Amino acid sequence: MSSVAYWSSYPATSDRLLSFIGIEIHWAILQYVIGLPFMAFIALLLYMRSKDIVWKKLAWTLAKGFIIVFAVGAATGTASEFGLVLLWPNLTEAAGRYIYFPLYMEVFAFLIEVVFLYMLWYGWNRFSPRSLAVIAFLGFLGAWYSAAMILSVNSYMVAPTGIIPAYRPDGTYLYAEGYPKIAVYIPKDIIPLLNITALQDRAHVDVLGTTLDAVEVAIPVKVVQQLVREAWTGTILKNSILANFVNKTTVAKLTPDTVSVLAAKLGVPSAALAGQKTAVDMLLGVPVKNVLDYILITTVKHIGFATITFKSPVFPATFIHVIGSALTVSGFTVLAGYALRLLRMPSEADPEYKRYIEKTFKFAAVFAALAIAFQGFISGHEMGVAIAEWNPEKFAAIEGASTHIVSLSRLLHTDKIMPLIAYGSLSAKLPDYDMIPSNYCKCSLAGTPPVSDCRPPIFLHYVYYTKIGLAILLGLYGLVIALAVVRNRKPRDFWLKIAVIAPVIAQLVSTLGWVVREVGRKPWTIYGVMTVDVARTFNPAPTWQLALVAAFFISILLALIYVVYRLLWVPGKAENHV
Amino acid sequence: MVGLSPSLLALTFGLHITMVNLGIGLAWLVPYFKWRAERGEKELEAVARSLMRFYAATYGIAGVFGTAFTVFLLSYYPRFLGFAGNITMLPFGLSILMIALHFFSITSFWYGWDRWSKRTHQLIGALLALSATLIPLGFRAVFAFLNIPAGLGYDPETGKFYLDTILALTKNPTFIPLYIKSITAAFTATFLLVAGVYAYKYYTLSGKEKEVALRVVKTLAKPIGIGLGLMLVLGLWYAFSLKTTPYKFNNIFAPLGWRIRGGEAYFNTSWLFILKILLYIFQVAVVTLTLPKILRGKGSKTHGKLLLYAGLAALLTIAIGEYLNAFSQYPFFIAAWPDILANNLPLDKLPDYGVNIPQASLNTVINTVNSIALLENTKTTNKILERLGISQYFPSTSTVNEIAVEEPVVALTIGFLALLLLAAAYLVYILLTPAKKAEEQVPRTY
Repeated sequence: MSSVAYWSSYPATSDRLLSFIGIEIHWAILQYVIGLPFMAFIALLLYMRSKDIVWKKLAWTLAKGFIIVFAVGAATGTASEFGLVLLWPNLTEAAGRYIYFPLYMEVFAFLIEVVFLYMLWYGWNRFSPRSLAVIAFLGFLGAWYSAAMILSVNSYMVAPTGIIPAYRPDGTYLYAEGYPKIAVYIPKDIIPLLNITALQDRAHVDVLGTTLDAVEVAIPVKVVQQLVREAWTGTILKNSILANFVNKTTVAKLTPDTVSVLAAKLGVPSAALAGQKTAVDMLLGVPVKNVLDYILITTVKHIGFATITFKSPVFPATFIHVIGSALTVSGFTVLAGYALRLLRMPSEADPEYKRYIEKTFKFAAVFAALAIAFQGFISGHEMGVAIAEWNPEKFAAIEGASTHIVSLSRLLHTDKIMPLIAYGSLSAKLPDYDMIPSNYCKCSLAGTPPVSDCRPPIFLHYVYYTKIGLAILLGLYGLVIALAVVRNRKPRDFWLKIAVIAPVIAQLVSTLGWVVREVGRKPWTIYGVMTVDVARTFNPAPTWQLALVAAFFISILLALIYVVYRLLWVPGKAENHV
Repeated sequence: MVGLSPSLLALTFGLHITMVNLGIGLAWLVPYFKWRAERGEKELEAVARSLMRFYAATYGIAGVFGTAFTVFLLSYYPRFLGFAGNITMLPFGLSILMIALHFFSITSFWYGWDRWSKRTHQLIGALLALSATLIPLGFRAVFAFLNIPAGLGYDPETGKFYLDTILALTKNPTFIPLYIKSITAAFTATFLLVAGVYAYKYYTLSGKEKEVALRVVKTLAKPIGIGLGLMLVLGLWYAFSLKTTPYKFNNIFAPLGWRIRGGEAYFNTSWLFILKILLYIFQVAVVTLTLPKILRGKGSKTHGKLLLYAGLAALLTIAIGEYLNAFSQYPFFIAAWPDILANNLPLDKLPDYGVNIPQASLNTVINTVNSIALLENTKTTNKILERLGISQYFPSTSTVNEIAVEEPVVALTIGFLALLLLAAAYLVYILLTPAKKAEEQVPRTY
């Protein structure tokens, strides 16, 4: 199957594509909101130390840049937010119910950003340099805090808290035992109604322990996804796979009154069960959604509703990797701006202006080089290690560990050292894509989800290695430029011209990183919990309508880029901002 | 007594909608004054600029509170939002497209001042005005749906709800009056406020600025008069359209003696209506008494102040009107729903509103909508449900996401909201007060 056909074989292709466009536009812009205020803060610190006006001018120029992109980012954020509600309402509902906290707190991060970024801009001539530095600090803190909140939710979607992977680095595959599994807490008042032995024997459910009010169990993701599907399609217990695991002895002893009490506890109105003659009929008339909600809310409360997403095992690596990406993109973009100034520098230029440009170019070069070094050696590595441990299917795909493709890591012999990099041991083994069952996510009782292959597409290998290749090239370029400026040598025009395309490459690397992250999770929207077809709206728009919307957004983006270009490069009348 | 979650929603929505209304009016006024400045009345350039600066601030505040409202809605009522998201692709989608277009327009209009050619700037100004007017179209369609779920359908084969957008717009008697009334109110209130500000300036400034201030008031005088007149007609039209939702209608008008089907008020909001009418009367009285004098260049500073108060009263009227519209259907997300359950709105009447639910699926549909229709379970709401005789349809457990209203979260929310309000006030202060002298500023040429 061709790469594109493989990718599009997962449900909701056009919705995914539109979301990709919308969120990617938002992300491309947001990187500057994360990076530029941080750079402005550093510049203000340098100004406070040296009293050299160059640093204050740099901070002002950076502020001018991020105040525009922040506004653009806020608008694309609103569009993305509505896009999520309309294209993925069931995911939105689940997020709002169970992992709302970081989304809720993000509003306040947004508030901090708005207040301090605008205060820096509009109050530039009202505050002392020290106050400006504090304001810039709070401004970038708001942006980073905002990123942390959103990334915790995304991390939860990549590896939900409680996920137990199906692969061990010693080469053990656990798919046959029902892994991957996810740990949840089942309330004790539901437990007697379930046939635990049947769940353990036939559904590979493991009992992990007990608490005062619940029993902790590990449920195979193939079962979880089916229960989530049933919940969001209005299925009642009678038609659920849970009906196969009912404890018939206990249920037979139920009375209508006891079922009514339980149903009320589950949030089922009495009218919904009216007309059912027996206690068993009443019980089987309860919607799966109410039962699952009871289990999930108990689980969330046990883990901590405020911390559940931050406990995702991939969150710390994700956070530093994304911040690193934003700093890299911002660094290379500023570098490009000043490289252009150097290229256009007239021979009779004001010496003060020349000093300003040369000094800020040097700053940007060193900053960009440090950022990409951090990204490659620390945060990127940590991200890879986290994915290797918690998403073995994705890791197998991005490493191209399959005999059915031309594996670049095999060609380059990097597959020999990859176990050391990923698992810290040369004797460890990489997961083999071909050994992962293509139906590992499928619930045999229901035949869901409707996908032919549960594994992420293998073409991700090429996407990932393209990203790595471009990142290495960018890193080498950053090193060359940084070395040159540190030795006080002006880079030749050839190198300066390359600087102009460097931010494009940095953005491309960042985008490819997100492609690997998001497509590598397919067919899941929340890994091990909710598949794409369940997360999607039940009333999808026709592809042509979505294409029209995508074209509209891209046109607006292009127009905005032109506006920003005009503002930053084409001189206008004297500005009078305040 | 209204609970915490609806109160926080109301607070953020009230601030958001007030700023939005101001934005709609300013989106027309700013390009209009700029256009006149380009056609020869150069003094109006400064008016356009200062209004634009104020517009940018209101836009930012509206955006922050709008986002806060959406996130509160998601956190407190995820099921409702999930349901709404599944069926409202077109109306919300239209609003999103207009939000994007509006954002492009405001950014390029503001930052492109003096950088575009006159014609390009005017074109962007036209986009600014158009998009600001069209954003509420989709949102008001959803608000009208929350009055009566016109266009709602259920497909028993797939078990899915859907919305027939054409029917939702054409069969909903509340949609058109609500939209037109909203836009008219936005224009009237903004014009009145701007006229009030410039009338006050007229009595405090001197020289050419004084003359310009009077010219602004003169420009806005007629539209204000027409707007206030129209508001009366449109308000009545909307009130009559609400006869289709007896529960909501009676909550507003029954205590004042105007009842539908002999009904009663289950959640009395007539006091909000009276307050709104008093504010309206105040505006009409002030405009009638002061504006003719101001236009003739007579009167005093008190006249200017009064007109400014009338402008502020107009904004307050908008917020109160929104609260009246929302709370008169409390505690239901859909105003017609209690009437449907209590048989005040017979099921066989629903097809008249484009509602398409097969008889065999009625129970499923009612159970599903019941699961999202109630705002909260409190003593007040339980009393209302009991009086209506529909308690059995709703769960006895909390309908608000309980983990979103835990005490520490509430405390954090109140603290942050207080900060947000202070910050918004400070931002407006910074924008409206002059900066340091030019020589003290950092050179901005780089």
